[in-house]
Amino acid sequence: MSANPSDIAAAPLAPVERRFSARREKLLSFLQNGQGMFGLTLVLLFFASAIFAPWIAPYDPNALDIPARMQGPSWAHLAGTDQLGRDTFSRVLYGGRVALKIAAIGVSASLALGIVLGIIAGYGPRWLDSLMLLAFDTVRAFPVIVLALAVVAVTGPSLELVLIIIIVTSVPGYARLVRTSTLALKNTEFITAEQSLGASTWRIMAKHIMPNVVGPLLILGAMDVPVVVTVEAGLSFLGLGVLPPQASWGTILNEGYLVIRETPWLVVAGGIPLVLTTLGFTFLGEALRDVLDPRLRKGR
Amino acid sequence: MDTQLAIRDLSVDFRTPGGRVHALRHIDLDVPKGKILGIVGESGSGKSTVIWTVLRLLAGNAVVTGGKIDFGGKDVLGFDEAALRAYRGEEVSVIFQDPMTSQIPVLTYGQQMLDILYRRRNLSVAEKRKLAIAMMRRVGIADPEMRIRSYPHQFSGGMRQRISIAMALMMDPFLLIADEPTTALDVTMEAQIMHLMRSLQAELQATLVVVSHNLGLIAQLCDEVVVMYAGEVVERGDVRQIFYDAQHPYTRALIECDPARVLERSRLLPTIAGDLPDLRDLPAGCVFAARCPKVFDMCLTVAPPLYVAGARHDARCHLLHPQKGDPGWPPPIGEITLYEPDPPSREAAEFASTPVALKSGTAASGQGPMLKVDSLRVRFRSMGALRARLAGVADPFVDAVRNISFELERGETLGVVGESGSGKTTAARAILGLVKTHSGSVAYRGRELTGLSAAAFKPLRRDMAMMFQDPVGSLSPRQTVLSLVTEPFDIHRVPVDDRYREAERLCDMVRFPRNFLSRYPHELSGGQARRVGVARALALQPQLILADEPTAGLDVSVQGEILNLMGELQRTHGLSYMIITHNLPVVRHIADRLAIMYLGRIVEYGNCDRIFARPAHPYTEALVKGIPRPDPEKRRSLVSIEGEVPSLARRPPGCEFHPRCPYAQDRCRTEEPLDRPLDDGRLIRCHFPLTG
Repeated sequence: MSANPSDIAAAPLAPVERRFSARREKLLSFLQNGQGMFGLTLVLLFFASAIFAPWIAPYDPNALDIPARMQGPSWAHLAGTDQLGRDTFSRVLYGGRVALKIAAIGVSASLALGIVLGIIAGYGPRWLDSLMLLAFDTVRAFPVIVLALAVVAVTGPSLELVLIIIIVTSVPGYARLVRTSTLALKNTEFITAEQSLGASTWRIMAKHIMPNVVGPLLILGAMDVPVVVTVEAGLSFLGLGVLPPQASWGTILNEGYLVIRETPWLVVAGGIPLVLTTLGFTFLGEALRDVLDPRLRKGR
Repeated sequence: MDTQLAIRDLSVDFRTPGGRVHALRHIDLDVPKGKILGIVGESGSGKSTVIWTVLRLLAGNAVVTGGKIDFGGKDVLGFDEAALRAYRGEEVSVIFQDPMTSQIPVLTYGQQMLDILYRRRNLSVAEKRKLAIAMMRRVGIADPEMRIRSYPHQFSGGMRQRISIAMALMMDPFLLIADEPTTALDVTMEAQIMHLMRSLQAELQATLVVVSHNLGLIAQLCDEVVVMYAGEVVERGDVRQIFYDAQHPYTRALIECDPARVLERSRLLPTIAGDLPDLRDLPAGCVFAARCPKVFDMCLTVAPPLYVAGARHDARCHLLHPQKGDPGWPPPIGEITLYEPDPPSREAAEFASTPVALKSGTAASGQGPMLKVDSLRVRFRSMGALRARLAGVADPFVDAVRNISFELERGETLGVVGESGSGKTTAARAILGLVKTHSGSVAYRGRELTGLSAAAFKPLRRDMAMMFQDPVGSLSPRQTVLSLVTEPFDIHRVPVDDRYREAERLCDMVRFPRNFLSRYPHELSGGQARRVGVARALALQPQLILADEPTAGLDVSVQGEILNLMGELQRTHGLSYMIITHNLPVVRHIADRLAIMYLGRIVEYGNCDRIFARPAHPYTEALVKGIPRPDPEKRRSLVSIEGEVPSLARRPPGCEFHPRCPYAQDRCRTEEPLDRPLDDGRLIRCHFPLTG
């Protein structure tokens, strides 16, 4: 490296060395993780089917065909039909769109809020920290479903409401995690070094704390996607979420539950994507954690 | 002579994604029974890998590719799990570098020490406890019957290290390995631990391996020495042979670089230019050839064998080749064999000193000394207000810094020296407004800094920068070097035309390789990270730099480079430094004035050379004498200072140093000494100064 100082100085402005080794190493170790690749495949399948549902779906999900009601799987209806003769396969695909929307918006909004609130709680003054912790714990003390029941009783069910409930209930978890990592960082030497340079509080929080706390959080986020999807399905199943004509995995299950004695296919068709999505995101999250978490990679 | 441990032709590789790292290659070494063997080397030399291999505690990606380890007739590499359990702890035990992390925080010392004896089934708990207490007494812990019930956090660093030694000796092992046993300790503690290890070794006729980068410790403690470089044994021999008749240029260079060796001030310290070779792709010839001042053609092509240099003295260097070698090598001790460090070329210096269009004269227009600190006091709350009231504590505070005063002129260097807990770092942070001051004043060029709001302080921060103790840990881990060194411009909204060019200018200034600008802090060596820290501090052309342990955690050869760099920057930019350290040899080379701190007070303050020549305060004397000299003939027989730094919450009455002072008299126990001047202008806080 700096063999002779004058060599360095005499050299023309050298191009900055390009290094991908660290990233490539992580990518390689991810590709070698079979469980992770399986998870990734499921997740991609979930995304593709939800995004391209209008093109893939053989029928309009809400088109009624009473004569063909409650059929089992056949070439015409891959997953059979429900009690109103709607094509279950198409409904499952469209239900995936609801699930994706809820998962994407719900998880990313909770992550964003959780990070901001967590950093403020951890880095801010102590009284603010105590106040915010109190708020977080109060929210966390409510079971999601009970909270949803209470709110829906007042406002009536809707998709937006499901989203809001999901965000409100998952923010405290993320925020607490971020707060803990922030507290650990707060007294490290590099933060003091930034303060000594005159860096503003906002700058320290955004540029120096945030990049160091988001890593584990993204993994947690990935693993929380199935939780969010099941919460939506659960609320819809209870009639508190998506309203009946619209297809959602929860409503499909709900309707299937009513006719389970006549045809079990509805419950099966509504349940399988739920299971696969859950598995996919969980595997993906675990693989990401194994690859990204340096403590698990050190090998000592 | 009987050997306890014999390592023959040992080679160890590490599998990494970047290829195989040949960490150890053909290591041969013997540990004679009843002697102390020192293994010296800088970071990356493989000295730790040797001991982990001996203990069979290598990381999972390590492969022993060849060789044998013979331990009292047994083949260590062939042990199975059961044999290993009997071997570790029972036959060989380790004293670790950091007792803070190697002891179990949730168990009392009694429990931990009894656990060590779990294999001795024939002993009752009471007998084991008795053994433990006896061992604690032996390592110099007063009141062991009580202390055995303490937890690690209730002990100070020095006491913990004593306990580590006690624990290591519990099973009466055949071999004791000490891995950097004093690196985490202060000078006075280091002297005490060294003394303890030497006397215990003599008493028990124990066999000891001491691994360290500290030549002073090795010279003071060891009988035989092995010098390692880049995974090879480059020289081995008797301690006197190594220190007085070093045959390998690397050994010679290490000795020459040690700041404790060079006693004159204001001279460039010798350094070893270059870096360790890449252990994945080794050079064909000698591993040291690229950095060797005496390199010749043979070194580049033929790997040198261990040449015999004397009785039980070998060195891996072609200079000893009977025909092709250099009969004039080695030159007499005292002659410097290393290259003189090059001053930077003119072109480079010009480039480096052409800054972005900025002038630091924003707020620094006042008159007066660069920095004037007057009766600065910093206190921390020791318990909550409610608890204090309930417990009846009238004053629930501790003073970390107690009424210190000093001045720093332009272009001058002040060294602030003291053991940990002396308040030196707190003082620096208080000056920069990073911790709240209780009373007193800090004036920067006549402008009062205490009580300034963050916004009012911000423009002044351009003029004063701080360098932090941990070279890597003080850099934000997710930022590249490029954004780290240019960040000061962003913070102070200094317009920069070309960030790259500015970053390159700073890199050149601190001699940091430009093509590393896209690296992250953890990808840098300690010396490189330190340079980035210096570059950040210098980015806005400050007037004053507060450096907290600028050489801590760096190898000896790199320490010299950093000190040279700081000196050079001072000359070219007229900087003022306040250097905080516990390492006296380091400040000796760079400081004009010294302030010696003890328990938050300055006990001696004055000209650096005069203080070194004739310390006036007993504490200063202890510190100066406490430096382990890299000279085996000058072993100190006595520990100059007993005891440890008392807790800030329980300051001794009278002179606060009296419980540890060898000269203490009745007056010291009751009456607090005041600052008073000596004839040569020093200020001292002692009733009975040693000089003047």
